[in-house]
Amino acid sequence: MSIYLLQVINGIGIGMLYFLLAVGLSIVFGLLRFVNFAHGAFYLLGAYFCFQMMRWGLSFWLALAVVPLVVGALGWLTEKLVLRHVYAKAHEFHILVTVGLALVIQELVILQWGPLGENVPVPDMLQGVVMWGGFVYPKYRLFVIGFTAVLALGLWYVLEGTRLGSAVRAGSESTEMVSLLGIDVFRIFSLVFALGAATAAIAGVLAAPMRGAEPFMGIEALGVAFVVVVVGGMGSFSGALIGGLLIGVVQSVMSTVWAEGARLMIYVAMAAVLLLRPHGLLGRKG
Amino acid sequence: MHRRQLLQLSALGALSASLGMNRDAWAQASGAIQFGCPVPMSGAFAANGKFADLGMKLAIEQYGTALNRPLAYTLLDTEGKPATAVRKVQEASQQQGTRFFAGGILSSESLAMGKEAEKAGGIFITTAGADEITGKDCNASTFRWSVPTFGAIEQTVRPLIDAHPKAKRWYTITPQYVFGDGLLSAAKNIFKEKGLEHVGNSYHSLTEKEFSGYLTNAMAAKPDVLLLLNFGSQSSDALRQAVSFGMNKNMIVLVAWASGLEQFESLGADLCEGVYFGAQYWHATQAPLNLELVKRSNDKFKSNPNYSLAGSYICTKLLIDGIVKAGTAEPKAVVAALEGMKYAGLTGDEEIRKGDHQVLKNYYLLKGKAKAKMANKDDYVEVVSSGKSFLPLDQTGCKLA
Repeated sequence: MSIYLLQVINGIGIGMLYFLLAVGLSIVFGLLRFVNFAHGAFYLLGAYFCFQMMRWGLSFWLALAVVPLVVGALGWLTEKLVLRHVYAKAHEFHILVTVGLALVIQELVILQWGPLGENVPVPDMLQGVVMWGGFVYPKYRLFVIGFTAVLALGLWYVLEGTRLGSAVRAGSESTEMVSLLGIDVFRIFSLVFALGAATAAIAGVLAAPMRGAEPFMGIEALGVAFVVVVVGGMGSFSGALIGGLLIGVVQSVMSTVWAEGARLMIYVAMAAVLLLRPHGLLGRKG
Repeated sequence: MHRRQLLQLSALGALSASLGMNRDAWAQASGAIQFGCPVPMSGAFAANGKFADLGMKLAIEQYGTALNRPLAYTLLDTEGKPATAVRKVQEASQQQGTRFFAGGILSSESLAMGKEAEKAGGIFITTAGADEITGKDCNASTFRWSVPTFGAIEQTVRPLIDAHPKAKRWYTITPQYVFGDGLLSAAKNIFKEKGLEHVGNSYHSLTEKEFSGYLTNAMAAKPDVLLLLNFGSQSSDALRQAVSFGMNKNMIVLVAWASGLEQFESLGADLCEGVYFGAQYWHATQAPLNLELVKRSNDKFKSNPNYSLAGSYICTKLLIDGIVKAGTAEPKAVVAALEGMKYAGLTGDEEIRKGDHQVLKNYYLLKGKAKAKMANKDDYVEVVSSGKSFLPLDQTGCKLA
């Protein structure tokens, strides 16, 4: 099999994780018009909570089910107790509060678990690789692709096929209008923020067996998530999916074409998209 | 106190450092001889910096005074960035009169700080790896304890070739900066000399976390040996992902520059099993000074010292010993006292070479043990071989005035 085809397949695997990282950030921005710099910190918490549960002898599968709920609840509380009070203020306040929150969470993680990284083992049933012609790929990464695809479908259904999704979409157009219709927009804000935190936590749990858990992983994840959201279009669910896959494939293919520039090329891809489509591939104007 | 609690306390200190506060009690003793500990306390290499802080603290506490003056130190967060590192060294030098610096985890920041220390009339000693530090970019104020990239490759690749004569095809993964290039260049020279095939190399950036693309390149090249030339969390990430691709089952994996115990703890025994690691320091070495450090570390921290802690400890100790030997805290006199100094070190007999300020010491090739064969919680590896390899002085490119 061609090395480039191998890299495209590998890039899809990377891209699905990037999608999961970015989708919460994108949805939160779409509704709240609020850039959440603490998004990476929820990813960080997802990885460490998974590590802690496995240290307690609990299974990875339980962690995958419970951790997003716990982090989602933390996100809900954060929105209610902190962020709600700065919505009306200038964007500088949003940045200040969310960056501060991210730093506090990071330092709390270091206080609790130390500055060294921790290993999270791959679940027994997903140990090993699959071989297909000349293609070798870890079973766990295949699982991540499949799981994320199913999750993406579920999220799409929530946003497109439910009453909550209608309110979110309408709210991203005009919160005043939704409010006038008698819908409690602050409740919607809380739920969406919790959903964003939960998806970041799922990404953290899924990433932990591939990359371990280490205190500074949130910063790196946030950078990638921003790139994906900008490429796909701020506030766009489909944009996050396409952006994630595009960035993953670019990064992986460039590992063969120009290895030393693979990381750089994801930012070049972002710049190219911004030049050609300033609102992202699927973003709306205005 | 366990290692985790120790690091938690250290992290509290790191927070204060990152907020621009110094280690007050140590830094503000009046009339003290001031030391600086410029290491990354934030960013990807913060874990190394936090242990380095403990190493300097241990040495300063052990001596307490020198020449009847108290010893004090200031922790300086370099963030792993040369520009920040230089600024912190300048500030410490101008505001506190600090002349003695031991630190620098990354080669790029160490090269920059060495030049700054020379300008400021101080002394800088580091554990960073690039050949240039005691090579063509050497200067009269800079010393280096760790074995440079040349020796690290000589003491890992050569013994591995001897142990696996049928392993002819080598693939390398290299961080693209001065340290990685140094390791790669030294490895290529050996491949050429031994008639081995270098079937490919993937460079990566210093911020890379995702190595699956590079590993896919490596697998496509069908090597017998995967040689990882990165450091710290990047080598851990690369190794973790290589194992997930089953590469440790199909080929030999060598991490040429591992950070030892701290890295093995973070990876866990299962990931380390059967993997070869190059290391500057191993706590089980039966050298008198090392046995003393292990006892001191266990008494103080209830844990064995790792490379970052031990490296910072010995660098600080060398500076203090130099001050005592010189009989003055005047940097030029201390430099003269350190030049040519022979001493019983952490890895056995060590010597500071006068011509380039390089410490001549052992480097180790280690191999990960199966979990079932570990005699205690830190017994992750067996020592396969050790030895000293350094370029002859006339080939280093170093010209000290």
